[in-house]
Amino acid sequence: MLPENLTAIVARNESWTGESATEPYEAGWAKEAVVFVRALKTPVGRLPKARVEISADGMHWCAEGSEFDLPSTKDAVTFQRVSHFGNFLRISAALPAGAEITVLVTLHLKA
Amino acid sequence: MTQLDDIRRALRESDPQLSRFDPLPRIICLDDFDRGMCGWTQLVGNYEDTLDAMLPGYAQHSHAMLSTLPNWDFGSHGGVDGSYALKIATRPRKGAQNVAIKRLTFRKPGPIRLEAYFTFKPEATDLALSETDIRSFGFLYDLQIGDTSGPGDRVMPHLRFLNAQDGKHIQKWQFKRRTTPIKPIGTAGKTITHYHLSPDDWEDLPGGEQRLCYNEIPTKVNWHYLRFDFDLSVMQATRFQVNDRVFDMGGYDCIRIPAMKNLWCMLNLAFFAETDTDKRAFAYLDSVCLSGDF
Repeated sequence: MLPENLTAIVARNESWTGESATEPYEAGWAKEAVVFVRALKTPVGRLPKARVEISADGMHWCAEGSEFDLPSTKDAVTFQRVSHFGNFLRISAALPAGAEITVLVTLHLKA
Repeated sequence: MTQLDDIRRALRESDPQLSRFDPLPRIICLDDFDRGMCGWTQLVGNYEDTLDAMLPGYAQHSHAMLSTLPNWDFGSHGGVDGSYALKIATRPRKGAQNVAIKRLTFRKPGPIRLEAYFTFKPEATDLALSETDIRSFGFLYDLQIGDTSGPGDRVMPHLRFLNAQDGKHIQKWQFKRRTTPIKPIGTAGKTITHYHLSPDDWEDLPGGEQRLCYNEIPTKVNWHYLRFDFDLSVMQATRFQVNDRVFDMGGYDCIRIPAMKNLWCMLNLAFFAETDTDKRAFAYLDSVCLSGDF
């Protein structure tokens, strides 16, 4: 059988302000992930880096170390490759006051 | 019983994957989530031109996961007979729902049988049993007659186990006959929407009280068996069983709305979870078997 390969939409048309993150996603079966973030509307204000976070239990989170730009214009896409992430994965960002981005976050996961 | 039935039964019972199900003669799908997502996906709401047109009930949905039921205190729980189950997780907001769906069509309007091994639990954010944190676990079909079989309806059988509401441990099966008003989406005249999982209009299944096994801390689960028989030729439920209980379906009915121009022979099946607190609710499916008599 071909190895599992999944495209999971983990945030769709969600407006991020302040401390924001995708919902916890379990993907312990996957050896690698590519995270794509697309801006569905024109972002507002100064955008921080997005962070990849990992967790032992889906409740307590650690920065995995990978950081990447959030897309700065409508329909722009940014991405980050991740591997060796254990089971729980999420993407987070701390937006400063006045900043806002509406995101589509996609995980490409491969066993 | 014919000789063919005997042979079929012997073959089925010699296969460990199948012998814990009691399928009709033709297996439409046997989804064991140790083999991956098996065609179960996210229920996305309808939209046109902009995602802002999607009803909020659908906008909250996210993708199901392949889960080992991991827990902070003892690690992975695993499934009935393997490592993985399909996990449907709500957001941590009272009343939040999430749905996993499989989309098929049928080739003969006759009896079909849905069987599954399921369980549910809240996210273990508290050191307490939390048995009233999950509002419900449920499932539904979304069905429509064939294009030359009419006149007929789009028929949506729903059942949910109302576990708790507003902190009260209720534990009973419910069904619904009504959806929200049908609303056009966009301007092209091609898309409509309605929210059939709205919290309103649930009715008690007569005799549907059931005390399910749940464990003594929030991280332990036990798997339950579910079977729902439905006859597509008359669009009526014929039997419903959970574990050792078989429920009388005499008082049961489905949501029935006018047939739609694009949904002929539709056979969609879905499972859902609802939380009753600001805590994620998790519904898990170890395996699902859909079979038919054709």
